[in-house]
Amino acid sequence: MNIDALSASIVDGLMIGFIYGLAAMGLTLIFGVMRVVNLAHGPVIAVGMFAVLLLAQNLGLNPYLGLVIVMLLGLATGIGMYFIAVHRVIDAPELTTLLATFSVNLMIIGIGTVLFSTSPRALDVSLGSVRTGAVTILGTKLVADLIAVIATVGLYYFLYRTRAGKSVRAVANNRAAAELMGINSTWILALSFGIGIALAMGSGSLLATLFSFTILSGTVYEVKSFVIVVLGGLGNPVGALLGGIVIGLLEGLATISPLPVGWVPVIEFGVFVIILLVRPTGLFGAR
Amino acid sequence: MIALDVQRIESGYGEVQILWGLSLALEEGRLTTIVGANGSGKTTLLRTIMGLIPAWKGSVSFEGRDVTHLSTHKKAQMGLVLVPEARQLFTDMTVLENLEMGATPARARSEYRQTLEWVFDLLPRLKERMNQRAGTLSGGEQQMVAIARGLMSKPKALMFDELSLGLSPVMVMSLFEVIVKLKQQRLTMLLVEQNVQMALAVSDYAYVLSNGRVELEGEAKKVREMEAVRKAYLGL
Repeated sequence: MNIDALSASIVDGLMIGFIYGLAAMGLTLIFGVMRVVNLAHGPVIAVGMFAVLLLAQNLGLNPYLGLVIVMLLGLATGIGMYFIAVHRVIDAPELTTLLATFSVNLMIIGIGTVLFSTSPRALDVSLGSVRTGAVTILGTKLVADLIAVIATVGLYYFLYRTRAGKSVRAVANNRAAAELMGINSTWILALSFGIGIALAMGSGSLLATLFSFTILSGTVYEVKSFVIVVLGGLGNPVGALLGGIVIGLLEGLATISPLPVGWVPVIEFGVFVIILLVRPTGLFGAR
Repeated sequence: MIALDVQRIESGYGEVQILWGLSLALEEGRLTTIVGANGSGKTTLLRTIMGLIPAWKGSVSFEGRDVTHLSTHKKAQMGLVLVPEARQLFTDMTVLENLEMGATPARARSEYRQTLEWVFDLLPRLKERMNQRAGTLSGGEQQMVAIARGLMSKPKALMFDELSLGLSPVMVMSLFEVIVKLKQQRLTMLLVEQNVQMALAVSDYAYVLSNGRVELEGEAKKVREMEAVRKAYLGL
């Protein structure tokens, strides 16, 4: 194995890891606040991909400007989704909320397939590349990583430094007590769901600047997100970013190992099972 | 003036009825206490008043307004605040963040600084602990945070559920001193206590609950003298 290939795949893995982390962040936020596993996560990522594509194709919007609009749309969509699909079953057992979000998954995939078919699409965006030695870094990846970091810091700032964010943590911690203190917990849950969906759709938009995609592409990232969320500790946004980086690295290394590419998910889920067995609070879980 | 008026309230859990047409009133600026054996419906009453469980029948009025079916957070925003049993702190958040969450109602937010100073003055231990995670505090300190968090909301009526449960006698004494101080400041309060002796000693008015009904009521001093109460609750 030569050192050039190794460093190239490490850098590559690391860089995609940030975006995996961002994709998982919405899932972990929603679970952390309301103990709902959002099975519509993957399709929502795909909606983010198509939203940025449509904005670029029809309105000629720059994808990064489009991203901002997509995230705002995501916030509104998420709040709507919460009231339509989640709120009525929020106090029901987990299976019920799983089914509720899974039905949203099926609806998005169904409608998306009718509208867009399942043939691959791609966004036409290029920001050149940076080259150092054997390592070539795409400008789009660099910008995507930067945005992922900004989103993580932004979410952290929101949760720990703003009143609304602290209310989100209070509701996550003890919903009845939050109500007793005058916090409108229904609104806080809807807001959290909205932010989770905004993050998922935003990560979809960023992924669309890097790879071609179909309406079914979200599923891959949903599955990765589950592994990352468990790795990073359920409900921990910073843990999600770190977990994403770990999975990205693992994938990068797998590409230069003698193993066929088909083994990558096996390795990922191997990690998933081992973490659940050995350290169910996640590698970066606080408690 | 009556601050809180509960009329013939009925409620319970699932099929099980706990409260059977219970009525009580809190007078403004006075300390009222509810005593009664375990299972007499004290906690259920407070949960029904706050809307954490629905009232089946009867009504709850606060400051002249019918609030029976108002959501919990709206009641809290109006100034009807409960310091719940077992404290129910935001254990993953710091003491200061807990207090900040207490100051959620708009009128509490605008006076946040002054109220915080007043609360730290009343419970100085919390100032030392303010950046510590609430879940790491001792039971007594956690109860102080629960009281302080309630006070931060600038309540017009403050209700305590089992203030002294599971705490050391020294800690119970100092918490009761806080209650007495608040009473001197004419805060309307409702104290639900299993420590009947102390509750009756500091209160103005008392209700004795039994099987979800008011068994007797009266000035706390008089209730304390009653033969039935002495036998049943004071072990005399």
